[in-house]
Amino acid sequence: MSEGAPGHPAAAARRAEQLAARLPPLLVAAERVAATVAQGVHGRRRVGQGDSFWQFRQFLAGDPVQRIDWRQSAKGDRTFVRETEWEAAQSVWLWRDASAGMRWRSDRRLPEKAERAELLTLALASLLLRGGERVALLGAGMRPVSGRSMIELFAEAVARRGDPGALSGLPPAANLPRYGRVVLIGDFLSPLPDVQQAVARLAQIPVTGHLLQVLDPAEAALPFRGRIRFEGLRREGAALIGKVEGIRGDYQAKLAAQQDGLRAIAAAAGWSFAVHITDHPPETALMGLYLALAPDRAGRGRAA
Amino acid sequence: MIEALGTIGFAHPWLLATLLLLPLLIWLLRVTPPAPKLLAFPAVRLLLDLQRREESSARTPWWLLALRILAAALVIVGLARPVLNAGQAPGGSGPLLLVVDDGWAAGPDWGARLAAAEAALAEAERAGRPVALLTTAPSARGEAPRLSPVMPAPEMRERVAALRPLPWPPDRAAATEALAPWSASGAAVLWLADGLAHGEADAAFAARLASLGPLTVAVPPAGAQHHVLLAPRSEPARIVARIAATPVPATTTIGVLARTADGRTLARAEATLPPGTTEAEAAIALPPELRNRLAALAIENATSAGAVALLDERWRRRPVGLIAGAAETADQPLLGALYYLDRALAPFTELRRGAVRDLLAREIAVIVLADVDTLTPVEIDALTRWVGEGGVLVRFAGPRLAARPDPLLPVRLRGGDRQLGGALSWQQPARLAPFPQDSPFAGLDVPNDVRVTRQVLAEPALDLVRRTWATLTDGTPLVTGETRGRGAIALFHVTANTEWSNLPLSGLFVAMLQRLVQLSAGVGAATGDAVLAPFETLDGFGRLGAPSAFTTGIAASAIERTVPSPRHPPGFYGPDAARRALNLGATIERLTPLALPEGAAVRPLGVEAAARDLRPWLLGAALALLTLDLLLALWLRGLVRPAPAARAAAVVVGLAFVPAAASAQLDPMQAALETRLAFVVTGIPQVDSVSRAGLVGLTDFVNRRTATNLAEPMGVRPGVDDLSFFPLLYWPVTPDQGALDERGVEALNAFMAEGGIVLFDTRDAGSGQGMAAGAEAALRRVTRGLSIPPLAPVPADHVLTRAFYLLTDFPGRWIGGQVWVQRDQDRANDSVSPVIIGGHDWAAAWAVDETGRNPYAAVPGGARQRLLAYRFGVNLVMYALTGNYKGDQVHVPIILERLGQ
Repeated sequence: MSEGAPGHPAAAARRAEQLAARLPPLLVAAERVAATVAQGVHGRRRVGQGDSFWQFRQFLAGDPVQRIDWRQSAKGDRTFVRETEWEAAQSVWLWRDASAGMRWRSDRRLPEKAERAELLTLALASLLLRGGERVALLGAGMRPVSGRSMIELFAEAVARRGDPGALSGLPPAANLPRYGRVVLIGDFLSPLPDVQQAVARLAQIPVTGHLLQVLDPAEAALPFRGRIRFEGLRREGAALIGKVEGIRGDYQAKLAAQQDGLRAIAAAAGWSFAVHITDHPPETALMGLYLALAPDRAGRGRAA
Repeated sequence: MIEALGTIGFAHPWLLATLLLLPLLIWLLRVTPPAPKLLAFPAVRLLLDLQRREESSARTPWWLLALRILAAALVIVGLARPVLNAGQAPGGSGPLLLVVDDGWAAGPDWGARLAAAEAALAEAERAGRPVALLTTAPSARGEAPRLSPVMPAPEMRERVAALRPLPWPPDRAAATEALAPWSASGAAVLWLADGLAHGEADAAFAARLASLGPLTVAVPPAGAQHHVLLAPRSEPARIVARIAATPVPATTTIGVLARTADGRTLARAEATLPPGTTEAEAAIALPPELRNRLAALAIENATSAGAVALLDERWRRRPVGLIAGAAETADQPLLGALYYLDRALAPFTELRRGAVRDLLAREIAVIVLADVDTLTPVEIDALTRWVGEGGVLVRFAGPRLAARPDPLLPVRLRGGDRQLGGALSWQQPARLAPFPQDSPFAGLDVPNDVRVTRQVLAEPALDLVRRTWATLTDGTPLVTGETRGRGAIALFHVTANTEWSNLPLSGLFVAMLQRLVQLSAGVGAATGDAVLAPFETLDGFGRLGAPSAFTTGIAASAIERTVPSPRHPPGFYGPDAARRALNLGATIERLTPLALPEGAAVRPLGVEAAARDLRPWLLGAALALLTLDLLLALWLRGLVRPAPAARAAAVVVGLAFVPAAASAQLDPMQAALETRLAFVVTGIPQVDSVSRAGLVGLTDFVNRRTATNLAEPMGVRPGVDDLSFFPLLYWPVTPDQGALDERGVEALNAFMAEGGIVLFDTRDAGSGQGMAAGAEAALRRVTRGLSIPPLAPVPADHVLTRAFYLLTDFPGRWIGGQVWVQRDQDRANDSVSPVIIGGHDWAAAWAVDETGRNPYAAVPGGARQRLLAYRFGVNLVMYALTGNYKGDQVHVPIILERLGQ
């Protein structure tokens, strides 16, 4: 496969960076940073590894002599040790639904749902990496990485879709550190109790997260006519509808109910929920995610 | 088994009963709803609960139903094997005896005859009957008609297809004999007769056929008429074609064509046959020179050996000049010197009168001098030369010649003459002796009543006997002759009137003159038992061709009575100089229609259309309908979307029309948006690819070295494409390029008038005609009609030499040729030459291939020549883009000087 072909991870990364370039680097709002030792940009207001000055304290017996700040000590009689603030990086786990149900589009002019979800995942990763945060792909067995150059690595991880016939549309149970952030991108058409279970599993770690439902316009509107046998992509079975236009209203109502359920699940866990249709520009969805993750100037730490 | 329904018959009619099952099919199709569209849909879980809510009763649409029923019906009908125009089968159930008349009379409607035979075979095949074949004419090997073994119809088909009409009459007596041992139960007989009676055996033959089984006779339809050309009659001014025909109740008009040996038709005459008549004549009048070139007369549109009458020497008319010594009394009735000659020669020759010089001015075969003593030395020289070239000079003696003999005589004459008989003589008038064997008159009968009373005498000489062609009973020469060169001189020792003998009164005189005329121009007819080998023979369609191996020669004396046969087909026989024609028509008196046998079914030939098996068509239509049905079913299920399908169909159709697409006009929008060079498409792929590569190379060079920004070059066709977008046209002239059409000329003239420049490249300079022979002629042809100004070699100070680079010559792939531009004096178009003509094959020098190399070596070569070629290209582009702008730079020093002051 050549370098410029659309399926190549490097090309995907380039495209995602192009998309992310319109937004400033994303610094995740983090009151509580994931319990890791990774150094980052989030000052923890306590002494630790970091670049910025935190305090001088009196030399105690047992401190290494090398740590004495002689300039400060020379001002008085006591000797002082210079301490820096512990600066940690927030870790964000991104997940996109790579199941068979995402590999679908109603029109060849539209991207597949999976394609759009990957694009958003990568663009978000790019923003986060530029912001100095640590990013990992959930369910890929990947340690959080940081640094702008790591976007390539991340893109490769995203490109490894795993089993193309994977059926589950829900994030796997993962052993995440506490106070991390997760962003889940998928179509979330699974039964609500399953979604509830998956979200609850993450929320109890605890991590906070965001749900982004990616839908095809045909899934949103059911524009078909006539007698159609619908076949699921996740082996849900098939539905033979005699007259599709007759049930359109009912379908849309059911979809709205699903979305309401998802919103409720997210709210219960303190998460946010958004919907993205693939015929809308990805910028909108990315902006939504950005706003949800970024520190809110007005009300810092706004839930949902 | 075969049941005729109107004109459509079915081989298996019982299969049609299955049509009754169609309603069942209708019912089955109606209760089975069409398959739904299939669609993958991720959100199907949401639909699972909704599906039972609404289920319309889906039915097959009526048009799909109709389509399927129609297809099923077509299959059933097709399997029943319908046959269009299934003919009336001959009765009986045993073998079919197919009797084909393949004599000369079968030629004209041979196609219909073969078709009828084919149809009969097809019928026999359908009915499973074996077939036996009998042709009635003797085969080309000369074997008598023979009955073929009984064999299945398909095997017989090849034999029938190989049948050809033969150029001789059928032998029905022998055919009757061939049938004698044959018998088969239940046999039927189909006789494809030629419709003519051929002797007494016809009745017996018909009776024998009728005795074998039910007899069907297929004869030419009522309106058809048989024609045969009888031996043409030669008349003084014309040749008369005699046509014998079978009587028909309507007036017919027959065209007769007079053809030469090489097949050209020189004249056409028409003969009209009133109803019921059997003979007509058509006269063809031609000048003798043309008439002598005729090789055959043929009835128009009749393809048979009988419709062609080959012409040999007997129908040639040779020009004969007559000169009398006493011109004023020459034509006096009964007494004049030329009176008898005129009457003897006129029927078979073209007679001319005049002085020797006038006669020799035109083609002339024989000149007869009757007692002429006034020949001047010049005339004698001219006549001698003419005789050497093949002329025959016939002289008659008389008082004047006897007094003053000249050298143009075969023998020397003694002075004075000899009188035989008369009042003062003891001698009786002399009679003629039989002609010597080696004389041209050999074989002519000598009548007893010819008397010679006076004659001139030859001086005795050693070779006198050899030169004597006719003698009197006492041995005195009467006619002496001598061949000189290719011609001959003959002297009658008597006068051409009855003064000295009564020879001119006898028929022998005519015959002797005829023989003498035939001597001219190498015509020495073989006589006696000499065998005339076949030269060209006619086939059954009346076409001349090489004789077959079974043809044998004919004795010259027997050819008059020879009836054409396999051994002697009609045609030309004999050596080149003495060719004789053997014509079928010469042995035919009249044409009699065939008396149709009693009780036989008669069918006109070639009227009914050939039976056509409809099964493939019906099954094919059913297949097409079923394919359509499949496509519709796929479409209904959503597996085939109309748009991509239409696109695919468009691609297929487009592929079929790729050549058309390739020759389409260039896109004017694309051409207009950027400045680019163009070349004229010659249609020769190799030349066009060199032109394109050359202009690509030049465009690259120009873009690299100058501020110009040219786009990819284009190929154009003057008259098809709009030329107004291009500053420069490169035109490689190929030797076989044709002239421009009117629109092309117009377009190019407009192009040049608006400031465009055409660079004609004959691609041959420096190599003469060797590399592109004919390019100059092609250039002349191509530029015909173009308004090209007077040209001159490029002067040393021409703008082309300084438009960008300073150049002294303009090399391309070649070097050293002359480059022509508009003469300097012409101020039209701002002194910018609209044409540049050269032959350096510039495109090849500029050409750059895909890998960026120059594929064509420069001659004599070197990087310098290539560089100069590119520089010329740059100058050329600059010249085309800026006109004579750079010419103004000539004045720069002066302007600078002025500024300095």
